[in-house]
Amino acid sequence: MITNPRIKPPIVTDELNTQEVHAFPVWEVFTKKKETDAHTHAGSLSAPNAQMAANFAREHYGQDQVCCSMWIGLRDDFKSTDACEDTYELFVQWNAGDRHVHVGQANASSREDAETKCKTEFVGDKEFYTIWSLPHQAMHAIDGDEDMIWRTTDQSYRLAKGYSKIVRQKWDAIRASKEVDDYQKEDLKDTF
Amino acid sequence: MSASANVEVKVKDGSGEDPEKLAAFEAHVQAGGLIEPNDWMPEDYRSLMLRMAEHHANSEIVGALPEGEWITRAPNLKRKLALTAKVQDEVGHGQMLYEVAQDLGKSRNAMLRDLITGKTKYHNCFNYPCPTWADICMIAWLIDGAAILNQGTLAHGSFGPYIRTMRRINMEEAFHFKHGEDMVLTLMSGTEHQKKMAQDAFDRWWGPSIAFFGPHDRPDELERPAMKWRMKTATNDELRQKFVNRFAPAAMATGLVINVCEKDEHGMVTKATPDPLLKLDEETGNWGFTQPDWDEFYRVIRGNGPCNDERVALRRFSYEQGEWVRNAILNGQTTSQN
Repeated sequence: MITNPRIKPPIVTDELNTQEVHAFPVWEVFTKKKETDAHTHAGSLSAPNAQMAANFAREHYGQDQVCCSMWIGLRDDFKSTDACEDTYELFVQWNAGDRHVHVGQANASSREDAETKCKTEFVGDKEFYTIWSLPHQAMHAIDGDEDMIWRTTDQSYRLAKGYSKIVRQKWDAIRASKEVDDYQKEDLKDTF
Repeated sequence: MSASANVEVKVKDGSGEDPEKLAAFEAHVQAGGLIEPNDWMPEDYRSLMLRMAEHHANSEIVGALPEGEWITRAPNLKRKLALTAKVQDEVGHGQMLYEVAQDLGKSRNAMLRDLITGKTKYHNCFNYPCPTWADICMIAWLIDGAAILNQGTLAHGSFGPYIRTMRRINMEEAFHFKHGEDMVLTLMSGTEHQKKMAQDAFDRWWGPSIAFFGPHDRPDELERPAMKWRMKTATNDELRQKFVNRFAPAAMATGLVINVCEKDEHGMVTKATPDPLLKLDEETGNWGFTQPDWDEFYRVIRGNGPCNDERVALRRFSYEQGEWVRNAILNGQTTSQN
């Protein structure tokens, strides 16, 4: 029977008797914020299959910012050395610390071939850090038209900018404007 | 809400490594260079980064527990929506940080199990009670405010996957913090009853907030691995002073009084007296303040705080109750629940 842990969680000190679960495979998630943007690496997640990965990806990487399309690929598929004739999606990480950004596509016979084509067609003489490539057929796409990602209802309650104005007014009512400016310097405004 | 500032660091400094590789690595990170998972790194760097990310992830998911309890008791729909979103964000941060830690070599499953069997820790501030709605307001303002100061510096660290996660997390922390400010300002412009609620909660959270940044710097702080390898870019005492400089005058402007408090074993305040050291040093621009009670800090971090057992028990309860879901997802089978 499930008791209500909110009232009094059972304090247990004996050994865990639940089974360890096998690790879920890791998926790489790319999001596209506007139609004119390229798909950019948002992060990774662990999920047992593509459908669960898509659900998690929407929750973790899609719903808290404007997002019109997502791509999801199995991390192992980015490493595969098997020959596979396909159109490859190509991503470049220009510097260490950067996110991988989609630069285009190439028809190729393997990942190695795809990455060579990426260098000649999209990188050229420029410096870059790493390239990722994935056969188009291995990429799972979520299109904002068919599967809801970003909700068009009012989301201001869950964004900093939804509070900026009213909070500033409330501070201005009790503190000198310059003091409020100083106080707000640490606000991480670039993240709003 | 969270941070990895007070991970107890007992890590070696890479002395077992090839000295040439180590020197090149250190020169690279000290010059602002970044490290990606497939780059060479000292084993001690990898294990320290793993522990930082794991501790941070643990803190995110345990931190969501006291707040989650208040969702059903939020004072109105707008606050309820915001608190629900905040709790969802925190758990999401935990997910992303476990992902970073997992890539450094420890399975997610092992991390979840170590958390609920007490082998690993989470941020100490979540071992304190949250008895009123005003505590929710103070956590969002003070603890998320402290986390932003800390994570703002962590976002300039040296490990690529961690700093990318930090930037993403900070965007959401900015919402938590603004929301917290809004709630505190609302309480402090309200009735006498609301103001008293806010003051009582402030008394409970000011100490944990300034202790948030972890113990005093050691004399050799800058030579220690976390600073030398640029995992941290500011010391605990620097961040603490910055926090007090920002929050002490702001709190006073709202009408809150900064007290030094004595607490009982349940974390409830038994005696509060105005901080005698609280004043602005015009020369340095720094505010004086009474240090947190470090004896209490170490007592709580060792597991003897007001809510340690309760938090771990609730996390363990959720893990155990979720077993059939994990089995169903993995095997398409549900084991019987008694």
